[in-house]
Formats: sequence, C-alpha cells, structure tokens
Amino acid sequence: MPPPSSCIRGLTRLRAAQPSIACRRTGDASIQTASFSTSSAHYAIVAKKKTISTPPPKRGTKTLNVKKGRKTGPVDTGKPPAVGERKAMRKRVVLSNNNALEVPSLVDLSEENVLDTKNQGLVRGIPEEAVDALRAVEAFKPRQGWSLFRRPAVLYRRETTELAQLAKGVEEGKKTERRIVTGSRMSGKSTLVLQGLLMAHLRGWAIINFPEAQDLVNAHTEYGPLPGSSPTQYTQDTYTANLLSQFLKANKHLISLPMTTSPTLPQPLPPRATLRHLLEIGITTPESSWPVFTSLWAELTQPGRPPIMLALDGLSHIMRNSEYLSADVKPIHAHDLTLVRHFVDHLSGKKTLPNGGMVLAATSSSNSPANPALEFSIQCAEARKMGAKETPMWNPYKVVDMRAMEALKNVDTLHLSGLTKEEARSIMEYYAESGMLRAKVDEGFVGERWSLAGMGNIGELERTSVRMRV
Amino acid sequence: MARGELSGSLRRAIDLLGRAYCSPAVRFPNTIRHSRCLSTTTSRCAELTSETHEKFTAAPPIDFSKPDAGRPKTGKQLLRTLRVVPASPSYFSAKPTFNDDWVALTALLRKFATLPTVPLPEAPKVAWKTIDQYRIMTNEPVKTLRYHKMLHVLRRLNRIHSSLMPQEVLVAMQRYKKDTQPSDMRPNPVFVDEAGRAKGVGRRKTSSAVAWLVEGEGEVLINGKTLTDFFGRVHDRESAVWALKATQRLDKYNVFALVRGGGVTGQAEALTLAIAKALLVHEPALKPALRRAGTVTRDPRKVERKKTGHVKARKMPTWVKR
Repeated sequence: MPPPSSCIRGLTRLRAAQPSIACRRTGDASIQTASFSTSSAHYAIVAKKKTISTPPPKRGTKTLNVKKGRKTGPVDTGKPPAVGERKAMRKRVVLSNNNALEVPSLVDLSEENVLDTKNQGLVRGIPEEAVDALRAVEAFKPRQGWSLFRRPAVLYRRETTELAQLAKGVEEGKKTERRIVTGSRMSGKSTLVLQGLLMAHLRGWAIINFPEAQDLVNAHTEYGPLPGSSPTQYTQDTYTANLLSQFLKANKHLISLPMTTSPTLPQPLPPRATLRHLLEIGITTPESSWPVFTSLWAELTQPGRPPIMLALDGLSHIMRNSEYLSADVKPIHAHDLTLVRHFVDHLSGKKTLPNGGMVLAATSSSNSPANPALEFSIQCAEARKMGAKETPMWNPYKVVDMRAMEALKNVDTLHLSGLTKEEARSIMEYYAESGMLRAKVDEGFVGERWSLAGMGNIGELERTSVRMRV
Repeated sequence: MARGELSGSLRRAIDLLGRAYCSPAVRFPNTIRHSRCLSTTTSRCAELTSETHEKFTAAPPIDFSKPDAGRPKTGKQLLRTLRVVPASPSYFSAKPTFNDDWVALTALLRKFATLPTVPLPEAPKVAWKTIDQYRIMTNEPVKTLRYHKMLHVLRRLNRIHSSLMPQEVLVAMQRYKKDTQPSDMRPNPVFVDEAGRAKGVGRRKTSSAVAWLVEGEGEVLINGKTLTDFFGRVHDRESAVWALKATQRLDKYNVFALVRGGGVTGQAEALTLAIAKALLVHEPALKPALRRAGTVTRDPRKVERKKTGHVKARKMPTWVKR
C-alpha cells in the first residue's frame, strides 16, 4: 500500500479523469492503461524508437570524439604506379647533374696513374668506360652523392692510397689481399669498395661485385639444393645468372679470351668458344648458371690470366643464418649458399687466387644485423694491427656464430677514419668549383666544417656543405 | 623576551604573596637597554624568535633573609616598591625596540655626518634584512614605511668612505644585515690546469654536461663518440659547439665532454653552456661576444608540473554542457 497522502492524491486525480473509482485499484499504475481494450496492451502501444542516450561526459573526463561517417578528404583517383615502378625509382642511380658546373681542372684516372701515390688528397674523375663497368656491377649506390655533380669523381684519400699499394703488391707478387673495410657511418666504405673496383677495372683485372649482401640471404631470389653436395649446399640460379650478365658487361676486355678448359655443361659449347659463349649459356639458362660460374672461375684462375677483384658490401648479412629454409624446415646458414661460400672461402683465406687478386668486404653501419662474431673478429683484427699483446676477450654471454668466427679468424681490416683537413679542403674546393658550394673555401671555413662533420666524416661533410644548402 | 616576562611577573607575584603591602622593588640596572622583561603583553612570535633573542639579564634573586622581609612597608618604602622603571625610555610607545633602533641610528648619523662618502654604486654591496625579518627579530609591528626610512639611514651610513668607516658604525650596521651576504657566495676559482685543460659545466632542462677544452685542431669527442655519431641532427651539432663557432674558435680547441641525462636537444644545449664556460677560462675577454651569442646565461626553463584539475600543466578539461 502506498502512503496515505499519495493515495489521496491519486484518488483526486482519478476523479477528474474517470467517472468511476470503483474499478480502480490504487497503487498499480500499469493495469489502468487501456483497461477497456480487448486487444492486449502489447499491440496497442506504438513501440517507441529506442534511442541510446548516454549522458554527456562528466567534467574533467577525457572523451574520444570520433565522428562516424565523416568524409575523409578527397579520394585519390590517380593511377597507382605500375608494379615495380616504385622500386625502380628507389633504386635509380643518377650519375650526373646537368646544372652542376663542369670542373675544368678535373683529371681522369687512367690505367697508368690509378695506382700513383701522387694522387693522394686530390679529386680525380672516373673515365666514361669505367663508369659503365662500375654501373654494370652496381658499384654506385642510389643514395650516394653522384647525382650532385656533373660526372662521377672520387677523392683519392689516404685509405685509397693504401688500397693502391695493396693492388700494386698483388700485381707484382700475385698475392691475395683480403680486407674487411670498416669505419663509422657515412665514412665512405662503399665508395672505397668502388674505388677498389675502379682500380681493378682500370688495371685490367676481372671484377666481380656483390653490391648488396642482403640480397643473397633475404630469400627474395630462388634457391635449390646443389646435387651431389654433402652437407647440402644451395645454389641461387637467377642471382647467379644476373651476376654472370654483370660480369659480361663489366669485363669486356676478358670475354673474348678463348676457353682453355672443356667443362661439362647442360648445353654444349661451340668450337673455339670464348668466355662470352660460356657466359651466355649461364645467362640464358639460369639452371646451368652455377656450373657456368664454376667453369668461369676455373678459366679465370688459369695461369696467365689477370688478377681478380672480389667485392661485397654489407658483410654482416652473410655471417649468420640466411632467411632460406632447408627441406626439413631448418634455417640455412649463409655459408651453405654456394655464392656466399665461394666468397667467404676467398675472404677467409681458405682458397687463394692463383693469379693474385683482392677480396674486399665492406661492413655497413646503417643496414647491418647485430653480429657479435663479426664485431669481435674486427676487434681482434684491429688489435693485431696495433700490435697488441693480448687479443680482446669475447663475451661468453653473447651467442656467436662459430662458422663466422672461424671464417673471419685471420682477416685484416682496412679502417676508414675521417678525412684530413687537406683532403677536406681538396674536396670542398671541388664542391665549390662544381658550383654546389657557394662559400669562400678558406682555412677557417674548412676547419669549421671539418669539425662539424665529426672530424672529417666525408658523408657528413657532403651533407652539411652540399646537400643542406640554405 | 618570554623568559624576561616570566621572571618579572614571578618576582612581582612572590613579592605580593609574601607581604600585605608591597615592598620596595630593587631597581634594575640601567645597563639592560634592550631587555623588555616587564612587558605584560603575551609573546606572539615566541617560537619564531628563538634564534634572535635580545640581550637578557635575569632579575636579582629575592633575598628572604632580609630584615624587612615580613614587615609591612610604609611611606617612602612603599612608594619605592611600586615604582618600576622600564629599561627603555620608549617602553610605553608601541614599538620600543624599533624606536630605540631609530634613535640610535639617527644619533650615529648625526655624529658621523661630516665624514666623506662615496656614491651609492661604489659603496659595498649589502643585503639588508627585509621588513619581515626585522619584524620577527624585534617582535614588533613595524610599518614598512618606517623601516624603509631606517634603511635610508643605514644606506647613508654604508656610504661612508671605507677608509674612514668608524668601528662603531660597522658594529651598528651588523644588526641590520642579513646573515648571508651575496658577496659571501664566491664561485670556485677557474683555471687552466697543468695539462692545458679548462673545465666547464653546463646544464639545460634535465641534462648536465662537463666539457674540457684544450688547445688543438677542432676535434670534438662527446662521451667518447664523435659529434656526428652523438648527434644525428645537424642543428644539435651546431648548437653543441656554438660557443666555439660563434667566436671562430672551432679549429683552435679540442673538446672532450661528458653528458648525462635529458634528451638530445637538452644535451646539446647543456654542452653549449659547458663549452662556453670552459672557453671563458681560456679567454675571459670573450665574455661579451659569448653573451651576444647567447651562451653565457643558463636557460632556467624546465618542464612545468602538472596541476590537479588540469589535464596537463595549464590545459583545462574540455567544457561540456551539464
């Protein structure tokens, strides 16, 4: 029962609405609706549209105001770039800038002067023919500053002279020089490899370059087991075929050499075959590319043939497991890939080059997976170079790739430090002569830029003086 | 003062208890100038004044063995008992200590008015007590204007030529000086050590940097790394060595620095200050140039704290209806 006061109020209201009070039961409001209808109350009531009305947020609470159905700007109706176009743009290498001035004082390197120590500290041009060869082996990288100047030119720095001395030694004594090119970020490691390739090319060596070691191991190119190999090795046919075509374009002076061996290949060689015929078999039929590569190597190592330059960029990628999987779904070690093994055997000194040659492996600072084995080996090599009594201790808590450790046990390093102030001045004068640096190149300016570029880091020097012009 | 009051009233109470009529009081010696033992007001700031007590002399002990101890006093004796002479002539003014101070200082100024003075900028720098400190010391409601007038007198006294400054004035001024003077705070002496290094310390936001500067070729090592390895942004590199760059000294010195704490920008700007200070040790004459380059003053800005009721330091929550 409701309290008496509400009861009375209800009664009075009822009297106004209805003539009879007798049928009304006080206190139960739901019954009184449509009491005289024969249909059930359910049909009589027009269902109100249910609205979920949330109260406004309290003061002081953060609310997320996301309006649904709002138009999200104009829809881009342009055609997307075709397949591979973006990558092509990304990988495009531009080697000239028509807006840059021609430098009249620029002297080209040639077969005679390329190993000359008098070049040290000077900027030297790369001859047209060598540019083509280097471009063919992808020695120019897209993000290097080649597109800033009229034509490619390199600074003959201290380390280049060192490399030239090594090359001289190779030519004279048929030695095999093996070096890991190290240095800080943007210190010119890839460019030094390019300079090595340039020297080799100008001196008539055979050049083979692996421009990006990552491409060998990141499982982007097809692979297959090498028949009759134990433990199983894997060939990368498409990559090898591409490498052979690069070799064909870059070593034009060698491809007309006659074959001295008679390898057994899937396709027969024509009579009086030259290296070109051999290479063409490998290029046209990728499945025979690995046998072709081995027979090419056998040809190149015949007595009387020129020295060989083997170069690779991004060493830490091939000193670990690759992204490939074996038949029993185990990761394949990079050294089980035939091309990588070929390179690593020569880098580690397990195989030598009978006609002499150079094996250069550059590390990378911006694209390199953590590799304790490589880091430790580099430390040891630096210590050996400095003549330290004790080699550095390795951290037993780090997982180290033992195959990599074994391979890098006695490889020397070629460390790239900053430019000297004279070298910095020389290259900045070249910038200024190209019209890319509009400042008076004097001692104070050079010193200032040299300091700001972290004691002559060449990449930073270029970045601050040419790229970031105000 | 609290003690003075207590002893005074206690003495009086005992006097009144002991005899029907008051006995002659012992006159306090006039030497207690500043004591206010007979004040009947309650001490307001007793706990605040614990450090700066006025000079206090206890009342002489009551000698009960005196022959007139129990006897009622009459006539002149009674009158002597009732007369209590205050220590200060300005006792019945509201601010006796202040008035005494004022009188003493003006008298001192009158006495030494003829001594030669130096202009105000050349006078020794003195931090006088603030009005609040003076009020706490005296426990009197001194008005600001009055106190400022007194400070005028003090400054005038301070301007007396140092070679002729009387000891009396020095002693009198000591009472109005702050406990620590700005001249007491001396920075540690800076020097170029035997290896030719000058050290500078700089801070910005939450970073702190120590830089050592030696004469050299312009090599910079920060935490053992080169400038480019340590700072990815060119702007940060420039601001780190800005002191050297702005004075064209970048190729004259080598820098070795250690930086801790904060973010990249804070570390770069802490280095600016550290290198500038180290450079000032080598070449103090560069100070105006460095000040123009903006590397002398420490930037005091820090992250402002968040407040209750705000979303951030200043941001208020979004206004909503109801």
